[in-house]
Amino acid sequence: MNRTRWVFLIIVGAAILLAVAIMLIARDGDQGTATSGSVDRRQPIEVTVITALSIEPWVREAANQFNQAEQKLEDTGQVVHVTIIPMDGLAAKSKFERDEMDPVPVAWIPDSRYLTELVNASFKERLGRDVFLTDGEYRGRPIAITLLAWGIYESRAQALESSFGKIDWQVIHDAAVNPDGWDALGGREEWGFFKLAISNPRKNVSGLGAMVAAAGEYYGSTSIDPEDVNRNAFQDWLAEIMGSMSDLSGGTYTVQDLALFGYTTGDAGQLLESDLLLNMEGIQTRWADPLRIVYPQYVTWFDFPFTVWMGPETTADQKNAALVFEAYLLSKPVQERALTYGLRPESAAVPVDGPDSLFTRWQSQGAQIIVPRTTAMRSPDRQVLQDLLRFFDLRVAGR
Amino acid sequence: MSRSYKNRPQQQSTAMIGVLVGLLVLVVVGSCACWALVQGFNKTSDLLGAQPDVSAKPASNVLRIAYSPEKETLFTQLVNGYNQTGPDYRVQPIRMEPDAMIRGALNGEFEAMSPDSSIWLRQLDQQFAQQLSDADAFLVSQTRYYGISPVVIAMWKDVAQTLGWPTRSLGWNDLVSYALANPDFAWSHPSTASAAGLLATLAELYAAAGVTRGLTPEDLEKPETVARLQEIERTVRYYGEGEWATAQQVNQRGRDYLDAFVCQEQLVVWLNQQGKDVVAIYPVEGSLWEDHPLALLEVASLTPQHRLAFEQFAAYVASPQAQEMVLANGYRPADLSLDIRGPDSPLTAANGVDPDQPLTNLQLPGAQVIDQVRNVWWLIKRKTNVYLVVDTSGSMDGEKLRNVQDALKTFVNQIEGADERVGLVEFWGDVRTVVPLDRLGNNRAALIDAVDSLEAGGNTALLDGVQQAFLELQQLGDRERINAIVVMTDGRENASRTTLRDLTGRLGENQQSGAPIVVFAIAYGSDADYVLLEQLAIPGGGQVRAGTVETIRELYKILSTYF
Repeated sequence: MNRTRWVFLIIVGAAILLAVAIMLIARDGDQGTATSGSVDRRQPIEVTVITALSIEPWVREAANQFNQAEQKLEDTGQVVHVTIIPMDGLAAKSKFERDEMDPVPVAWIPDSRYLTELVNASFKERLGRDVFLTDGEYRGRPIAITLLAWGIYESRAQALESSFGKIDWQVIHDAAVNPDGWDALGGREEWGFFKLAISNPRKNVSGLGAMVAAAGEYYGSTSIDPEDVNRNAFQDWLAEIMGSMSDLSGGTYTVQDLALFGYTTGDAGQLLESDLLLNMEGIQTRWADPLRIVYPQYVTWFDFPFTVWMGPETTADQKNAALVFEAYLLSKPVQERALTYGLRPESAAVPVDGPDSLFTRWQSQGAQIIVPRTTAMRSPDRQVLQDLLRFFDLRVAGR
Repeated sequence: MSRSYKNRPQQQSTAMIGVLVGLLVLVVVGSCACWALVQGFNKTSDLLGAQPDVSAKPASNVLRIAYSPEKETLFTQLVNGYNQTGPDYRVQPIRMEPDAMIRGALNGEFEAMSPDSSIWLRQLDQQFAQQLSDADAFLVSQTRYYGISPVVIAMWKDVAQTLGWPTRSLGWNDLVSYALANPDFAWSHPSTASAAGLLATLAELYAAAGVTRGLTPEDLEKPETVARLQEIERTVRYYGEGEWATAQQVNQRGRDYLDAFVCQEQLVVWLNQQGKDVVAIYPVEGSLWEDHPLALLEVASLTPQHRLAFEQFAAYVASPQAQEMVLANGYRPADLSLDIRGPDSPLTAANGVDPDQPLTNLQLPGAQVIDQVRNVWWLIKRKTNVYLVVDTSGSMDGEKLRNVQDALKTFVNQIEGADERVGLVEFWGDVRTVVPLDRLGNNRAALIDAVDSLEAGGNTALLDGVQQAFLELQQLGDRERINAIVVMTDGRENASRTTLRDLTGRLGENQQSGAPIVVFAIAYGSDADYVLLEQLAIPGGGQVRAGTVETIRELYKILSTYF
């Protein structure tokens, strides 16, 4: 082969190599900007979790620790990064139903499983399928538990008990309708009228839960149907109770409010046990009167299910990464931390009366390790909830 | 020849190399062109949205938060403290009255807000739901508290003692009875555009309706309720731009300004820190809280970054450092671990307040009833006879007069309702009543036209101008209404027939025996005779405000809130 041919071959070879190199660079560049259909294993998988307000502090703390530990998705080895977005269950439900979740979260921890059922029902009408699964690997799993309990300022509790005996919805009703207020209820005139503290059912799931519990006690039944809700006698009774709310303007009401505004805005209320325990110390610091917890006979439970969104807006890896975080939340150390937030752990392996348990600490104020013999209310159906909300709008908030 | 033979293959191979190099260049250029085309296509696709860039940042890295004016000092401190931490998203505070805040939120003008009370958040959600015809729709999502303060009646200590404080628990009824029995008792509350004003009106309505809770729309429609409320409102000296402005006036003017006014407890602490002996009366019938919520709004412009910034700002205002700042400013901090009875707390009896109070709240009615309360107040609030007295001397020529004309028209348009009476007097070397006092329902258009036709020229007969308005109001002798003169001048008196002594003497006599007339004076520019204006305004409980070409419109707008 003469020199010319060698030169020819070298130049052609170099040209081919150069062309191939350029094409490879171009391809790499394409991969770098692709957002779907390919995976950049160097980037963490982002998992956004909409979280009910009452467990948000605990979940956020867990998420921070989870992110610091750089937990990985087993299949791909990618690091999972969790972002928590606090949102009330009803607000989230409304956003899902109106397609206003932007971005669509990978997972949702609502206050109660019935919220996911309501969203599913809404999507089933439109899409013909569930968006949150109820069985299989991606099914909703409770991560902690709490319930609605009475929180009553001690001085007010003593006055009510001396006048009426054991505190229940009927006692609250009788206190609420008394035209002479605390002066006639065994309390002091300066306390004004009896004031009920429950969350606005339009803004907070626990308010709706309290109305369901009141209906359960009124009818002596764990299951409430629309006919019960719409019966005039019941509506009059409930309207008289709710007429004693200190704020009918649409404000929501939580234990944080009970602690911050004290007995000026609420003498007693049916509120989340976890919130009552979490704010007990603050109430004692701010207000001279401590708060007491009283367990009702008809109990509304909140189970905070971790549910994965099954729509196409999130990738399979994101859905699987959400399960990694779910497993972390259910791990023993994290479940033990739930006790310090006043939540009852989902894991049976974690005793409620652990060393840092708020249940142990506030037994003096009525907290009970084992919930006394009660009757759990069944999850209400969509129509019952809608009828209760309509009643609230017309008979309470519309005043 | 041989050389040419030998050279021939060399020439051929040189040509071949040239062709090959050319090919190589073509391949390189072609590949580069292809690569460039591919890149260009990708970019075009991005622009068309085919491949969204998830890392794209929004145009602005600012979280806009509207706040109400009464907490300007605290909120500014909190925002500055936060911005100094060097966050990715800075907070931009926007000062705004709650009314305007609702409109702004519906227009998406900011991403978060902190009004004086949560009442406005509910009003906002109600209006938003009405706009969308969807009861479930709401704009307010997360709400956090950082500092709260109960609404109280701030009263000079000796006045409170006259009413029986501290041995007796005082309430709204005591205040109203005392005001009705003592015409000289000067008290005020803001308009229902603020939480303090709304609570005062609500308390008056409960008293007028003879109920203590469960206020209904029917209660508000009863003629006897409306008549009683009207009677109570007649005892109000004048309204004003808000509780913070009122507290500042009380601080500057002392006892002569007001005997009592409705405000948040924090302002009582502030006044005591300024050396004023004022106490907080926690109404025995019940109070309300100015809870200063920090609320995130689900507006269209809200991005995930805004959401994160809100979280970060909320975390900052909840931090121990910020919460200590909240307490130091006289608010009750949201952090319950801070002891409001501790040695570092300003919430003390020495500062006129009691951290164990209030004991109960007034019931806050539903959003529709609140709307109705506000409407009733606008309908029955104490009406006004107000004369606008305007300097049209030669020095006002040009931009100065044009801006005043604009400001006067703003004033006239700002006053709601057709029953308020307004008149216009101009002075230069002489005086002229341009538009006589009449109901705005009759003369609003005439006033606007007259303002537009004002011209500048001549000297400055300031005292004669004020006297003319005074004589007309005095002749009217209307004790039912607030009687006021809003006088503006940019220069010094040099042409009046009356003297300062004569005029102030007449004003003083009238305060004692006639229908009181309040003078609000505007010193327009640096040449205005501020001292003379003070002598005219202060003895009758009025004010002097300094204005410039830039601020004159806003100043007239503020003064319109007094009527």
